[in-house]
Amino acid sequence: MNVDNRRGELGELKSQLRQLAGSRAPGAEDLKRELFKKVTSYMTVGIDVSALFSEMIMCASNADIVLKKMCYLYLGNYAATNPELALLTINFLQKDCQDENPMIRGLALRSLCSLRVPNLVEYFTGPIKQGLKDANPYVRSVAAMGVLKLHHISPASVKDNEFQKTLKVLVIQDPDAQILYMGRVRSRDRTLGTASATAKRMKEFSEWAQCLVLELVSKYVPAHANETFDIMNVLEDRLVHANSAVVLATCKVFLHLTMSMADVHQQVYERIKSPLVTLITTGTSELAYAVLSHLHMLILRSPTLFVSDYKFFYCRYSDPSYVKKLKLEILTAIANESNTYEIVTELSEYATNVDVPIARESIRAVGRIALRRYDINGIVDRLLQFLEMDTDYVTAETLVRLEMLTACIKLFFKRPPQCQSMLGAALKAGIHDSHQDVHDRALLYYRLLQEGVGLAEKVINPKKQAVADFAESQSSEIKDRIFDEFNTLAVVYQKPSYMFLNKELVGNTESESLMGERELSSPSAHDGFLHQSEFSDNDMLLSASEKEDTRLISTGNGADAYSAPEISILDVAPAVSSSLLLEAPATVASQPKPAGTHQREMPLLPEFETPVPSSRQATPPLASQAVPMDDLFSGLSVPDTAAAAPAPPPQQLVLAPRPSLDAKAFQQKWGQLSVALTVEEKLAPTGIMKLATPQPLNVHMIDRHIFCMASGGKPPNFKYFFYAQSQPNFLDPSAQAGFFLVELHVDTARAMASGKIKADDVSLAPAFAELFRVALARFGLL
Amino acid sequence: MAAASALYILDLKGRVLIWRDYRGDVPASQAERFFAKVMEGEGDPSSHAPVIFDDGVTYLFIQHNNLYLMTATRQNCNATSMLLFLHRVVDVFKHYFEELEEESLRDNFVVVYELLDEMMDFGYPQYTEARILSEFIKTDSYRMEVVQRPPMAVTNAVSWRSEGIRHKKNEVFLDVVESVNILVNSNGQVVRSEVVGALKFRTYLSGMPECKLGLNDRVLLEAQGRSTKGKAIDLDDIKFHQCVRLARFENDRTISFIPPDGAFDLMTYRLSTQVRPLIWVEAQVERHSRSRVEYMVKARSQFKERSTATSVEIELPVPADATCPGVRTSMGTAIYAPEREALLWKIKSFPGGKVRYLKIIEKSGYQALPWVRYITMAGEYEIRMS
Repeated sequence: MNVDNRRGELGELKSQLRQLAGSRAPGAEDLKRELFKKVTSYMTVGIDVSALFSEMIMCASNADIVLKKMCYLYLGNYAATNPELALLTINFLQKDCQDENPMIRGLALRSLCSLRVPNLVEYFTGPIKQGLKDANPYVRSVAAMGVLKLHHISPASVKDNEFQKTLKVLVIQDPDAQILYMGRVRSRDRTLGTASATAKRMKEFSEWAQCLVLELVSKYVPAHANETFDIMNVLEDRLVHANSAVVLATCKVFLHLTMSMADVHQQVYERIKSPLVTLITTGTSELAYAVLSHLHMLILRSPTLFVSDYKFFYCRYSDPSYVKKLKLEILTAIANESNTYEIVTELSEYATNVDVPIARESIRAVGRIALRRYDINGIVDRLLQFLEMDTDYVTAETLVRLEMLTACIKLFFKRPPQCQSMLGAALKAGIHDSHQDVHDRALLYYRLLQEGVGLAEKVINPKKQAVADFAESQSSEIKDRIFDEFNTLAVVYQKPSYMFLNKELVGNTESESLMGERELSSPSAHDGFLHQSEFSDNDMLLSASEKEDTRLISTGNGADAYSAPEISILDVAPAVSSSLLLEAPATVASQPKPAGTHQREMPLLPEFETPVPSSRQATPPLASQAVPMDDLFSGLSVPDTAAAAPAPPPQQLVLAPRPSLDAKAFQQKWGQLSVALTVEEKLAPTGIMKLATPQPLNVHMIDRHIFCMASGGKPPNFKYFFYAQSQPNFLDPSAQAGFFLVELHVDTARAMASGKIKADDVSLAPAFAELFRVALARFGLL
Repeated sequence: MAAASALYILDLKGRVLIWRDYRGDVPASQAERFFAKVMEGEGDPSSHAPVIFDDGVTYLFIQHNNLYLMTATRQNCNATSMLLFLHRVVDVFKHYFEELEEESLRDNFVVVYELLDEMMDFGYPQYTEARILSEFIKTDSYRMEVVQRPPMAVTNAVSWRSEGIRHKKNEVFLDVVESVNILVNSNGQVVRSEVVGALKFRTYLSGMPECKLGLNDRVLLEAQGRSTKGKAIDLDDIKFHQCVRLARFENDRTISFIPPDGAFDLMTYRLSTQVRPLIWVEAQVERHSRSRVEYMVKARSQFKERSTATSVEIELPVPADATCPGVRTSMGTAIYAPEREALLWKIKSFPGGKVRYLKIIEKSGYQALPWVRYITMAGEYEIRMS
C-alpha cells in the first residue's frame, strides 16, 4: 500500500516536472523549486527518486543557481549507482562548466569531479584543465580540488594529463593564497622542500588550510637543527590561535621535529602544556575530550610533565562523564611521591559523586595508585574509609576490597606492630565477604600467615618484584606508533591506526599518514630504507632503555650505508628531499619565474644540494617524473605500488586493491604455473621484532595490495602464501587482469626472506617481483 | 590529513534529517548503526564520548538542542578538527536560522545543503565563517535580486572580511567578559581558582579598518618601562581570533587586526590566580531516616557592602531518586528541578583586565566610536560538601 502510494507520488512528480521543463510561464521557477525541494527531501529520508533523473536534468538546464545546486546534489547521489545515467549527467555538467557565472562554473565542476564513476574519467579531464586556467579564483580552487578527486578514482589519468605539472605552476604563480594551499596540499614535495618558507606564509592560509599544511610540515625531516629551530620559531605564534585544531597541529609539528633532540623535545612538552590546558578549560566538552586524550598520551610518555599541575585535571561537576573518566585516568597516571596524597584526597571526593560509574571509577583509580606504593599508609586509610561508607556501590567495588587486602598485608610486612590489628580486621572482613574472590584471597593470606610470616612475605611480597607498570599499559612500541599518529583518532582510541582501520578499504581509499610519508621519500626502495632506519633509530633514542639492544641492531644493519652519525644525516637529507632535488630545479628551469615572486623559496635549495651522494645525481631524470607524482598525492589514495615501482619500471603495474581468489583456485594455479622468478630480501630488524607470529607481515602486505592466502610456522621459520592481481586497465581493456602467486620463507634468525613467484602473465613477473621486494624491504619500517 | 566521508544531522530518535555525502564510502543508512551505538551505552546518551568506533567506521558527533550532528569516516582522521568543525557548522547554521533545531532545518534544508556544500569539500573543511558564506549563500528572502558571485574573501588572504563594507555610523562595541571558576573542597579549601576572560567585539566599520588594542598586560608595560604596580595583569594563556596578527603580538605585544564585520571574540585568556570566592556556601546534611534528608545551606557574601551581585545561582545536587523536596528560603526563591535546586541571589563585578586604548585606522580616515564595558560573570563555582 505504502509502496503504491509512493509510486503514485513519484509518477505525479515526474509528469509535473516534465510539464515545467520547457515552460517559460511566470511562476514556473517557483513551482520548479517546490518540486525540487520535495525531491531533495525524499532523497534525504532515503526514498529512491532516481526515476526522475532525466526530468530533473531537463528542468535544471536553464534554471537559476539554487535549482542547479539542488540538481547537482541529486546527481551526485544517483550518478554513481546508475552509470547509464551518468553520461547524461556529464553532458549537463560539462555545459554548465562553460556558464558565464563563475559560481555555476565552479559548482558544476565540483559536482562533475564528485561523480566517482571510474570509467567516465576521460570526460572530467577537459573541464578540470580548463578550470585550472579559469580567470576566477573560486573556479581555480575547485579545479585544484578536482584533481585530488580525480586522483582518487583514477591516478593514471592524473598522470596522463600532467595535472601535477599544472598544479605546480599554480602553486608558484597563483597570487591567491587559497589556491596556493590547495596546490600545496597536493604537492607535498614542494612543501617539504621549503618547509620553513611555507611556515612563514602560514598566515595567508585560512585556518583549516593551516591545519593541513601543518600536518604536512610535521612530516618533514629538517636537514639540520637550525632549520628545525627556524620552523619552530616561525610557527610558535600558531599556539595561540583560537582554532584548537591549529593548536594541536602545531603541537604535532613541534613534537615530531624535535624527536631526535631529547632536551629540546622536553622543552616542547613544557611549551605546549599551557595552550593545551586552556583548550580543556575554555573549549566545549567534546573538544576537551579530544585534547585530554592527547594530554593523556603525552603524560604517559613524560609522566613528570604535570606533576605539580595536576589540579587542572580535577573533575568539574558539570563535566560530562566521558571527560571525567579521562581525567581520572590522567590523575592516576600523574600520581607520584610528591602528589599522591593530594590526588588521592581528590579522588576520594569523587567516591560520593552522584554519577555512580564515575564514583566507582575513582575508587578503582585509588586502588591503582595504591599499587604503586607511594603512600600506602594514607591510601589504605582511605580505602578503609570507603569500606565504612555505607554506600552499596562503593563497597561493592570488589577490586577495592582485593586491593585493600593486598595493600594491608604488604603494609603489615613493613610495619608489623602498627598494622597487626588492621590486618586482622581486614582479613576477617574479607573472609566473611560475600564475593568469592575476596573470600578466597583473604583465606589464602590467612593460611599463608599461619605457615609463617616470613613465608607469607616471600609469596605475597617478594623482594625486587616491584610493580613497575600495569597490564593494560601498552608496549612502548605501540605507544611510539600512537605518538607518530598524534592528532588523529589513534590517540583517542589509544591504538595505532592499523589496529582499527579496515585494511582493505584503507588500501583502496586513502593511504594516509606515515605510509604517505614513506612514499614521498624514495625513488628507490633503498633510499627509503635508509631514511626509515634512521627514523626508527631516533624513536629508540627516546624510548625506554630496554630497547637498547634493538637499537644497536638497527644501527648495525644500516652500517653498510652509514657508519658514523654525521654521515647518517647526509643520508637522510637526500632521502627526504630527493624528490625536491630532482624536481625543484627542474620546475624552476622549466618555467620562467615571474619577476620578483617567491624569491625566498629559492635559497633553501642549495642546502639540500650539498649533501647529495653521487649515486643520487646519477638517477635518470625520468625518475623525477615518476616520483613526485606519487609524492604529490601521498595525502590521498595512492595505491602505493606505483610509488614503490623502480625507476624506470620494467612495465607499468598496478595491483588491484581487492583481488578475488579462493583457496581452491590458488592451489590449482599454483599447480599449473611454473616458477617465474625468485626473490631474496633482507628484512629490517624492526620488522623481525614484530614477527613473533606470521600475522604482522600479512597485515603489512595488504597495504600494498598483496594478500595472504595462508601462513604458518614457528620462530625462526615462517612460511607464507601470498597472492595479488594486476589492476584491470580501463584504458586498455584488452589487458588481462592476471594473478601473481608467491611462496615465501622467512628466517627471522638470519633476517632473510626468500620466495618463489608465479604469474599468469610471465612478462609482468619482474615488475611484480620488484614491488614485492620493495614491500618486504619496508616491512617494519613504518 | 584524513577526510570525513559524510556529514549527518539526526533528530533525537535517530532519523536522518540531513545527509551530505563527500566521499561515497559511508552510506546514509550507516546512521542507524551510529544511533544504535549511542543508545546502547548506559545512562543518558549525552554522556557518551563524542568519538565512537564501530566496524571500521568512526563517528564523531556533538549534540545541539534536539539534534545530533555527526561526521563519519573510514580513515584515521583528526578528531579535534572534526569536532571543532561540527561546532562551527552549528555556529553557521545559528547565524542563518537564529536557532538550530529540527524545525529550522526542515524549513531551510535547501540552504542547509548549499552551506554544507561550501563548508566542506571532499571531506576537508573549507570555509566556516558565517559572515562570508552569507555573502554568496542567501536565504530565500534575498535570493532573487542579486547575481551570486563568490566573494573575494573565499579565496583571498583576509578570509574573514570582504572588501567594500559600508556603514553609516562607524562603531565598535567591546565587552570584556570574565568568568571566575572556583573549586572549593569540602573542608573549605580553595583547590583551584582561575579567571577565564573573553574580549567580545561587535564591529560596524566601513572598509578594511586596522584596529589596535592595548591592554594592561604586565609583559607589555614592563617592556615599555612603565610602572606595573597594581594595575597590570599576567595573561597566562591567550587565544586569538584568526584576524589578529600573531607575529606582531609575539614581537611587541600589540594586538593589531582587521576585524570581521559584526560580532566575534577577539581573544580569550586564562588567569590562574588565587581568587577569594565572592560567595561562600556551607552546607550541613542531616539524615533523619533512610528516606529523609535535610540539607541546611548557608551562603555568605564576601565582598564589600556597597557592591551587589546579581543573578547568583546556587546549584545543590540531591540524589536522583529524591521526590518533592520541601524548600524554605530566607531570601530569593528556590525551585526544584530534577537533580537540582537553585537559589537566586546577586553578584558584583570583579576587577580584571583593563583596556587601555582601542584605535581604529582606515584609509578614508573616518571617525569611529569605540564603546567599552566590563562584565564579570561567575563561571563555575563548585563548592563541595562532606
